[in-house]
Amino acid sequence: MASPVPDRELKKGSAELMILALLEDRARHGYEIGQLIEARSRGAIRFNIASLYPLLYRLEKRNWIRGRWLEKAGQRRRRYYRLTASGKKVLSKQRAGWREFVEAINLITGIQHA
Amino acid sequence: MPDFRVDIRARLAAVRLSPVREAEIVEELSQHLEQEYERALSWGASDGEARRQVVEQLNASDLLGRELKHVERRISEKPITLGSERKVNIFADLLQDLRYGLRTLAKNPAFTTIAIVALALGIGANSAIFSVVDAVLLRPLPFKNPSQLVMLWENAAHLGFPRDTPSPANFLDWQKQATSFAGMAATSERSFNLTGVGEPERLEGRRVSANLFELLGIPARLGRTFVPEDDKPGSHVVLLSHSLWQRRFGSDPAVVGHAVTLDGESYTVVGVMPPFVQLPGFENRNDQLWVPIAFPSEEATQRGNHFLEVIARLKPGVTLKQAQAEMDTIAARLEQQYPTYNKRRGAVVIPLHEQVVGEVRPALLVLLGAVGFVLLIACANVANLLLARAAVRQKEIALRLALGASRSRLTRQFLTESVLLALFGAGLGLLLALAGIRVLKTFIPLSIAQVETITIDARVLIFTAFMAMVTGIAFGLVPAIQGSHFNLNDTLKEGGRDSAGGSKGNRIRGLLVIAEVAVSFVLLIGAGLLINSFLHLRNLDPGFRSDHLLTMKVNLSEVKYPDRERRAAFFDEVMGRVRELPGVQLAAVAGNLPLTYNGDSMSISVEGVPDPPPDQQLDVIFRAIGPGYFETMGIPIVRGRDFRDQDNGNARDVVIISEKTAQQFWAGQDPIGKRLKPGLSTSSSPWREVIGIVKDVRQNDFVVSPKRQMYFTYRQAKNIPANALVVRTSIEPMNLAVPVRSAIWSVDKDQTVADIDTMDHIVAQAVARQRFSMLLIGLFAALALLLASIGIYGVMSYSVAQRTREIGIRMALGARRTDVLQMTVKQALKLVGIGMVIGLAAAFLLTRVLASLLFGISATDPITFMGISVVLLAVAILASYVPALRATKVDPIIALRAQ
Repeated sequence: MASPVPDRELKKGSAELMILALLEDRARHGYEIGQLIEARSRGAIRFNIASLYPLLYRLEKRNWIRGRWLEKAGQRRRRYYRLTASGKKVLSKQRAGWREFVEAINLITGIQHA
Repeated sequence: MPDFRVDIRARLAAVRLSPVREAEIVEELSQHLEQEYERALSWGASDGEARRQVVEQLNASDLLGRELKHVERRISEKPITLGSERKVNIFADLLQDLRYGLRTLAKNPAFTTIAIVALALGIGANSAIFSVVDAVLLRPLPFKNPSQLVMLWENAAHLGFPRDTPSPANFLDWQKQATSFAGMAATSERSFNLTGVGEPERLEGRRVSANLFELLGIPARLGRTFVPEDDKPGSHVVLLSHSLWQRRFGSDPAVVGHAVTLDGESYTVVGVMPPFVQLPGFENRNDQLWVPIAFPSEEATQRGNHFLEVIARLKPGVTLKQAQAEMDTIAARLEQQYPTYNKRRGAVVIPLHEQVVGEVRPALLVLLGAVGFVLLIACANVANLLLARAAVRQKEIALRLALGASRSRLTRQFLTESVLLALFGAGLGLLLALAGIRVLKTFIPLSIAQVETITIDARVLIFTAFMAMVTGIAFGLVPAIQGSHFNLNDTLKEGGRDSAGGSKGNRIRGLLVIAEVAVSFVLLIGAGLLINSFLHLRNLDPGFRSDHLLTMKVNLSEVKYPDRERRAAFFDEVMGRVRELPGVQLAAVAGNLPLTYNGDSMSISVEGVPDPPPDQQLDVIFRAIGPGYFETMGIPIVRGRDFRDQDNGNARDVVIISEKTAQQFWAGQDPIGKRLKPGLSTSSSPWREVIGIVKDVRQNDFVVSPKRQMYFTYRQAKNIPANALVVRTSIEPMNLAVPVRSAIWSVDKDQTVADIDTMDHIVAQAVARQRFSMLLIGLFAALALLLASIGIYGVMSYSVAQRTREIGIRMALGARRTDVLQMTVKQALKLVGIGMVIGLAAAFLLTRVLASLLFGISATDPITFMGISVVLLAVAILASYVPALRATKVDPIIALRAQ
């Protein structure tokens, strides 16, 4: 896969989808989300703290995700985000939309899957 | 580990988040940075390098601040204190406010109870009075298109009768000539003796033109109303009222077509009217039946005998002015045609509504104003309470402001609480109003019509709800604005002492006390004036001794007792039996009793004096009575003698006159032995010799000074029957009602006996309206005084509690208890003094509207004004003395330690 760091706009459009997807199976805190994105994109995508958290808050305000302070034994409390019901709906819609979009791009540009 | 929180906070400053939100974000982000820092270290970076790497993220072109601004800015105004982080939703907020308001009110039961009771008294009084005003003044009369209905009167202002009852001949001419009216109907009072079914009974009724009910738009409940054919002399048909039909005929639908015996003659029932048919007119009588007026030919030509009441309906499109103009023309024409009777007689058109409510309107409006004042005072009191509470709650308020509640949101919350209070007050007030109306109804004099219709209905409910909202906002607004506009910093710094309760709060509380005092002063003055004038009324000499007098109406049937000999024989027999009853001291035959009847006057001519022109003839009230009447009634005979049994049809005709009559016609002479006769000196009636002079009696109207009077003995009166008995008793008069009635029935079992009453009660009835106004305004004024004194007490207690420290210092520095006492009372009196000066000025202006309700004193009666000032001052001193006394009990050491 020969993909440079995606440019800002693309990142912004897809960032919501990435976060929602990461929260699909379980609740995670902000740092974990940032780490996971970086790890799963093999370092290609990195979120700055200054863009990650405002994005989380925005999603929360839209009521797609919900943050709650959780305390685990012997640890400081942390804010965990989980997907809400409407977030789930948005995720499946965006996922389908994204798939169509990628397929369309592929058809036009003729990029073959490795 | 470096602390990143300072760096983060610095970048958040521009966003201006609410403190709580900012704290959350700082915590979350700093954790993130700390983890990155640790990761950098674990990769081998030096301390400084790791730190630089991490902070660099924050520096990236102020991204954080910018991004957060977009997301967070809009919600930063949202109050966090009230719980969730939901979207701003007015309805949800309202529910939340309501829940919160209910909780706060429930937490302060004492405050809540006092506030609700004060408001309930104010709102309840308003609802009760409004229901009366609505029923009497505002609601249209129960007739079809009532705005078209008018009453027509003759205008004989030069004789003192601007609304005189028309004569039959004039009425018939009006009816023929006027074109402004769709219909015109005459009525005339007439009573009947109903016999033949159960106990004989005297029934009040009316003769009416056949078109009357059609004109008013009242159809019969059963059968029919009158038709033109009924309106002919000799027709014997009758319409029954609903109540008579129920009471005497067992609601029998078959009564229509049957005959009943009235005054010994047979009448056919043609119909039954619906309930509560009350015909408008001068006297508010409870008509039980109606017969066609059917003018006999000799009556139809009478122009000098005024006894009709005329109702007409304006044609659509015809204005009152046009109708009046036409009636002026007609009256002028009749004056020319019949100068003897119609000289200077005009005609007036009065809207029916004005006719019916005109007299009671000022009293009711004054009452409405009075209860409005009471409500104002209640509002001021509750506002005061709320202000004091706002001062107590300032820590809560400060906290909520600090946590990001907006001031407008706090104001809304306060208003919700006050409107809640008002609503509870209104609910309780409605219950009070229900009870109040029941009491009111028993006090409302009969002359205020439509009493049956006074209820709490939808209109009153709407009025009450409206009052609740308005008062809730009115008394809640000041504390709400005040409470949410204090300086947050100062409050937090001062450790919660004295901010909303500071000088500004004190000023508002002072103003409220001034307003309360001023308003209650006005009310008290009003009440004082009314009470004073009522006392004047009660102290009037009616001209007779009203105690221990039993009275009753005994109307003899003209069929059974057609001439005075047979009437005299009946009365002789009855008197003989009544006088023997134990407990009876004196008894006499009487004519229409004082204060029960407005009619019966005639012009007279004096022997040897030329008759004055028709428009200058003086009327004299006359009554037909029996021997012993004056002694029984306690009317002193000033000169001459009483009637005797021998003054009968065979003896020479005699008359007894009142002092005023004597003065009018024989000023400076001795009237005894002089002669007078009814009507013109050329009339055929015999001259009557004056044999006695008696004291003036308030015959027609208690409030008006007595008019000229004369008395005949019923044995010499042809057409003026005696119709009543008076009995002076040595025991409670009402205890003799049954024995006297039995005595009458033992002479004639069919004789009706009606209106059994005591003279004391009749006198009381005569001043019932004045008593009604006085009682109510007196009650409201007492309420106002109570509320105002509570208000003064509350403010002074609060002020003393606030100044505990100051008082402690003063006492520590050597102030004596009396000094403190004086200082505190002085402070209260300053407010009261200002309030009284304002109240005095307002009272001078406002009591003028009372003028028409006053008797014997002026609207600015100095004694009342002085007396009330003293009362109010005394109450104010008392109300401030108790808290002041508490102030002197302050222990300086404890006071100085306090905060």
